[in-house]
Amino acid sequence: MFAIEKPLPRANEDTAPYWAAAHKGELRLQRCDDCGHVRFPPSALCPRCLSQHHEWVKLSGRATVFSWIVVHQSQHPAFNGDTPYNVTIVELEEGPRMHTHIVDCPNDQIRIGMPVEVVFDRVNDEVTLPKFRPAKSK
Amino acid sequence: MKDQVAVIGVGCTKFGDLFETSYEELICEAAFEAFADAGIDPAEIQAAYLGTYMPGPSGGKAAVSLGDALRLYDIPITRVENYCATGTDAFRNGCLAIESGACDVVLVLGAEKLKDRGGRGLPRFGHPLLAKGNSAPGLFALAANRYMHTFGMGREMLAKVAVKNHYNGARNPKAHLRMEVTEEKVLKAPIIASPFGLFDCCPTTDGAAAAILCRADLAKRFRSDYIPVKGYGLAVTTGRPFFDPTFDYLGFRSTQMAARQAYKMAGATPRDISFAEVHDCFTWTEISNTEDLGFCEKGQGGSLVAEGRTSLSGDIPINPSGGLKSFGHPIGASGVRMIYECVKQLQGQGGERQVKNPKLGLAHNVGGPGAVSCVIILGNN
Ligand SMILES: [Zn+2]
Repeated sequence: MFAIEKPLPRANEDTAPYWAAAHKGELRLQRCDDCGHVRFPPSALCPRCLSQHHEWVKLSGRATVFSWIVVHQSQHPAFNGDTPYNVTIVELEEGPRMHTHIVDCPNDQIRIGMPVEVVFDRVNDEVTLPKFRPAKSK
Repeated sequence: MKDQVAVIGVGCTKFGDLFETSYEELICEAAFEAFADAGIDPAEIQAAYLGTYMPGPSGGKAAVSLGDALRLYDIPITRVENYCATGTDAFRNGCLAIESGACDVVLVLGAEKLKDRGGRGLPRFGHPLLAKGNSAPGLFALAANRYMHTFGMGREMLAKVAVKNHYNGARNPKAHLRMEVTEEKVLKAPIIASPFGLFDCCPTTDGAAAAILCRADLAKRFRSDYIPVKGYGLAVTTGRPFFDPTFDYLGFRSTQMAARQAYKMAGATPRDISFAEVHDCFTWTEISNTEDLGFCEKGQGGSLVAEGRTSLSGDIPINPSGGLKSFGHPIGASGVRMIYECVKQLQGQGGERQVKNPKLGLAHNVGGPGAVSCVIILGNN
């Protein structure tokens, strides 16, 4: 028998700065130089104005829960031991929405509109996953 | 274009766990039922469209799966794949072939054999950011939860869709899950991805369906009760609606836009539609789709089902066939199977599930979720 490992993200040329920042404990996304739109997921062109000029800016890490579900039937054997686990969409203070996972909170206490903040889950020496927990600051 | 094309024959296999039937056998069964229904010699078919998400095991990604199954060689055959709108989009392409003047008689066939192939519903681990252990139920559930929060709707409302569609499917000899369910049974079923339990989800299914189209002015040669195509529409929006900051999660723009095109071509409004086969991959999807198709206001789809208006005897019966929920969902076959149901209903051959005096029937697929939608409107002659 061998253990099935969870698939981990592999950075590509669009996403490498995102993962590198996360590994340093920062949530960074691209802000368009021309229209100011902050976007997720990372991409070569601005989805609003198609400009390719951008800057990787550090975000506040503050967000609210936009929608969430609890997965009871795992779709991949590596996740079988984690069920039931939440899959959550958060809306970042700066505008973009991202799929993520809420930690430090029982699934049945997650609510739409709940304030959350980013935390960094260091998986190994190369990969860190941004996740969110109920906001403590403020 | 309205009334340029007519459906002259349809066929559909029994849907289900068909481990003993091959992909090619499914194609043959659906096609030969359609040939017999139209009273046509297969040699008269001038072009064919195969709607399939996963072609036959030896067919690669091309249309040869259809050519080899039917020994239908030396004519144009095109494979169509467009997420869950695959079947209706194949039908739409068949209409275009005839309207262009390129062909007089076309075969449209949707086929899928999912149960022994694997791969269905697996999360998209390929993308470094979208990979979050999510699934098709999970993606639709994220929208459902937001919708239920916005309109204050509970899981009991979702359950009413499952109860209705299983009632209809239990009366359909070709449906996959031929059993009625109670609201209590739906609510107590194991959760797949909250708020969806087992009975909020359509099954994974094998099956095939076929339709034969011809120039409307030739249709009388084949039968008097041919079914004219009144309108169709196809709309593609972003494949990542979940990251669009303007997406409200309360419905799908692709459905609204595809419906607008189809109504315009048909010169009809939602009030003119007698019944509809609506994409109910999940119970919530049906509720939201009935709104996007214009049968009621946004937020009213729950009351529409609760008041019985979408049941067989209601003023706008939805999914008289049993829908994806009970009839099953072999992806590429589903849209063509909806055409099959619309044709049978409009010809008054709906049996125990016949709706009353239908004039216009509508078939609708949405996939992605929300990335692509196709709407077809058929009339009776
Ligand atoms: Zn821009």
